[in-house]
Amino acid sequence: TLNSDYPWILNHDHSRQKEIADWLTMEIKDFVGYISPNKNEIETRNRTISKIRQAIKQLWPDADLNVFGSYATDLYLPGSDIDCVVISKNSDKENRNSLYSLASHLKKKKLASRVEVIAKARVPIIKFVEPESQIHIDVSFERTNGIEAARLIREWLDDTPGLRELVLIVKQFLHSRRLNNVHTGGLGGFSIICLVFAFLHLHPRIITNEVDPMDNLGVLLIDFFELYGKNFAYDDVSISVSDGKPTYIPKSDWKDLNTRGTFTLAIQDPGDPSNNISRGSFNLRDIKKSFAGAFYLLTNRCFELDMATFKDRLGKSILGDVIKYRGKAR
Amino acid sequence: QCPKKWKKMFCTLCNSKNHSRERCPSIWRVYVVKEDTQKQSLPMHALYCYNCGSKGHFGDDCPKRRSSRVPNEDGSSFSGDNLSQPLK
Ligand SMILES: [Zn+2]
Ligand SMILES: [Zn+2]
Repeated sequence: TLNSDYPWILNHDHSRQKEIADWLTMEIKDFVGYISPNKNEIETRNRTISKIRQAIKQLWPDADLNVFGSYATDLYLPGSDIDCVVISKNSDKENRNSLYSLASHLKKKKLASRVEVIAKARVPIIKFVEPESQIHIDVSFERTNGIEAARLIREWLDDTPGLRELVLIVKQFLHSRRLNNVHTGGLGGFSIICLVFAFLHLHPRIITNEVDPMDNLGVLLIDFFELYGKNFAYDDVSISVSDGKPTYIPKSDWKDLNTRGTFTLAIQDPGDPSNNISRGSFNLRDIKKSFAGAFYLLTNRCFELDMATFKDRLGKSILGDVIKYRGKAR
Repeated sequence: QCPKKWKKMFCTLCNSKNHSRERCPSIWRVYVVKEDTQKQSLPMHALYCYNCGSKGHFGDDCPKRRSSRVPNEDGSSFSGDNLSQPLK
């Protein structure tokens, strides 16, 4: 039936809401609640990380293991990888010998199966699955920028109501369209967060303090897709997120940027103003088209349900066809 | 010529000639406004334009040529018109 396709609407029917935007707001909250990990999952994750940390300290007493990426900021979808980094006080561990010795140490301790050592990449990593929890883990070495970014994102989440909810919806949307992988020109997690963060801090109703974003997630989600799917001037405008104050900068004013007048997304790295964190997202054409598509899907659904009788609305989902969630059941 | 073009479109909700009543953005562009409206002000220094990147106006109100090739017939949320009455 319909309900098994959209499990987050089970026992959460909002079809009698007077305003369709309020129905969408409630459905967004239901979906976020549904995909958020429960206590058991959080405990399993923490136990797994601490087992691996202990094993690393056993091999290298001067080293520690840090978690970054979506796991460190609670912005992950079910089944996503955990990104970790090994930092050591004395010696640089980012060399081929350390990569292979850690891989075989973890295998010997029965903490890693399906191990891949990717030594020649720009960022050398070990990928494996922890056998007991079946969690996928990526370990990189001696790079602190990921930890810094995670700290910054946690600050943004604290001062920006609605950021977490909208990021999770946009992530799931891009994931269902296979547009969230930087290796294939999609949008990476940090770029998605920056787009939503800038959107929320520049929205007319929010800068004037008229609305609480948590009460308006539905209309804000549509406004987000409208901005980045229909209106944003990717050729001429870049986004800056430094000092926790998002602004736009004309591309012509960003001296180190060489994409002026070309259709590319440009987001200034808060840690390095010369770096464009979204330079890998070369498939912007499909990303923009998919955002515009989400805008039309959502607004058409709102028009359709607004005209329908309460009987026809019962058990319906507004978000369902937009986010196409096909994850494992929780 | 498309025969539909001849039919006059008119929205009885917002008086626009760009869409019919069934497809009026005001059906979904509805905000729950805070009870306490005393704190409202328009901080000009925090307004940025999605079309030219400069400060002081919203993208829909930009005097420069539109950069995006997707049309914006009905206006978007990034418009002076999207503010509540006292701020306009
Ligand atoms: Zn209208
Ligand atoms: Zn402008």
